[in-house]
Amino acid sequence: MTHLDVRDLACSYGSEKILKGVTLSAEKGEVVSLIGPSGSGKSTLLRALVGLTLPSAGEVRVAGKAVDYSSRKSVRELRSQLAIVFQQYNLFQNMTVMRNVTIAPITIKKRPKAEVEALAAELLARVGMEAKHDAYPEELSGGQQQRVAIARALALQPEILLLDEVTSALDPERVNEVLDTIRRLTDEGITMLLVSHEMSFVREVSTRVVMMDDGKVVETGTPSQIFDSPTHERTRDFVGMILKH
Amino acid sequence: MNYTFQFGEVMAELPYLLGGALVTLQIVFFTFFLGAVLGLMGALGKVYGPTPLRKAISAYVIFITNTPALVQIFVLYYALPDAGILLSSMAAVLIGLTLNSTAYLTEIIRAGVVSVRQAEMDAAIGLNMTRLQILRYVMLPHIAKTIFAPLSNFFIWLMLGSSIAALFGVEELTGRAINVSSVNLRTIETFSVVAVIYIGLTLIASMSLALLGRVAFRVKARVF
Repeated sequence: MTHLDVRDLACSYGSEKILKGVTLSAEKGEVVSLIGPSGSGKSTLLRALVGLTLPSAGEVRVAGKAVDYSSRKSVRELRSQLAIVFQQYNLFQNMTVMRNVTIAPITIKKRPKAEVEALAAELLARVGMEAKHDAYPEELSGGQQQRVAIARALALQPEILLLDEVTSALDPERVNEVLDTIRRLTDEGITMLLVSHEMSFVREVSTRVVMMDDGKVVETGTPSQIFDSPTHERTRDFVGMILKH
Repeated sequence: MNYTFQFGEVMAELPYLLGGALVTLQIVFFTFFLGAVLGLMGALGKVYGPTPLRKAISAYVIFITNTPALVQIFVLYYALPDAGILLSSMAAVLIGLTLNSTAYLTEIIRAGVVSVRQAEMDAAIGLNMTRLQILRYVMLPHIAKTIFAPLSNFFIWLMLGSSIAALFGVEELTGRAINVSSVNLRTIETFSVVAVIYIGLTLIASMSLALLGRVAFRVKARVF
């Protein structure tokens, strides 16, 4: 069954239409990458999926079940299945690294503290942050904060992980440490939807690439279809422009 | 001037005066914490509430902060009986000061509420927290840390301002000082001692608040 199915999703900020009917899907364990110029609606799509920005039309199904964004219960059920990592990490500044990672499983999923902390320690080790359990976000570099944010999302044990330009706020030396972390996750069968401008990374990890422009999907295909033989002119321009650098 | 200071008679009344200081503390703790709870609700209503509620809260804050607390308590104590509501002097003072601190604390806390980073709110929502959990774990620690200094200032202001209770016959620190000095007629000595007690109270309050801030909210406040 299709794990994530999005049909004709539309979304507006005030009178401005950001998403003009987006359709895409992901099978279980797939890594679907969204590419496209700034302002094309990639981030808004991820925000709309978790209900941070309410969709105005369209349908979202997770594992076959339709999400009703007007129902708090339905949205809460949806959020229990997916997790989002933001471009600006969005860590809680008043909490330690450990607390950032454990707060949701402990307070929301009501799991035993010891068990959650053991899981968090394991996740933090996996993202290379095992030495920083008691540090506060302000004491960490951007790359370190982003890796903590990824551990925080994984602590929810999501079935679907949304990654919103997780490397674009980082300096070039820090990009690889975060990409390595994500690369390792792709082997674990979590369905991922990621927005990225790191084209070589997208090409390497994705099972499918979705090219977006002006709130719409221009073209969908395998990485080699999109990067080597794009059918749409817009995709050709965009890919050509980026690969030139 | 041939005035000889005589503190003996005042010092004899020290336990009585310190008892008054205790009453002062009770008034302040009651009005501050009730005002803080109501002020938090006011601040949240003013930031997130529907327009009519926002306007109603603004009107309340403007009305209260632009009239003297003394006048407000006068109305409660002397005018309400005409409407059939008879309050004890202590009740009138507690209600008046709570109305007052609610208004000021609404404004102080509001500044903290609007400074909560949207990024953290998004993350909390994404982590599936309920509104109450967001308030408890994300907003309140941030608000407390941000407004810690004005909150501490207000606490001190309230402690000193609570002396107007004496005008209504409440026997808190100033009230008892008036009682003592009207018997021993040692006004200068009595009020000097009372001033020192007030300084002691505010210093203890400042230091406790700074300590609380340091331990609970990682605020590096200094008393001196």
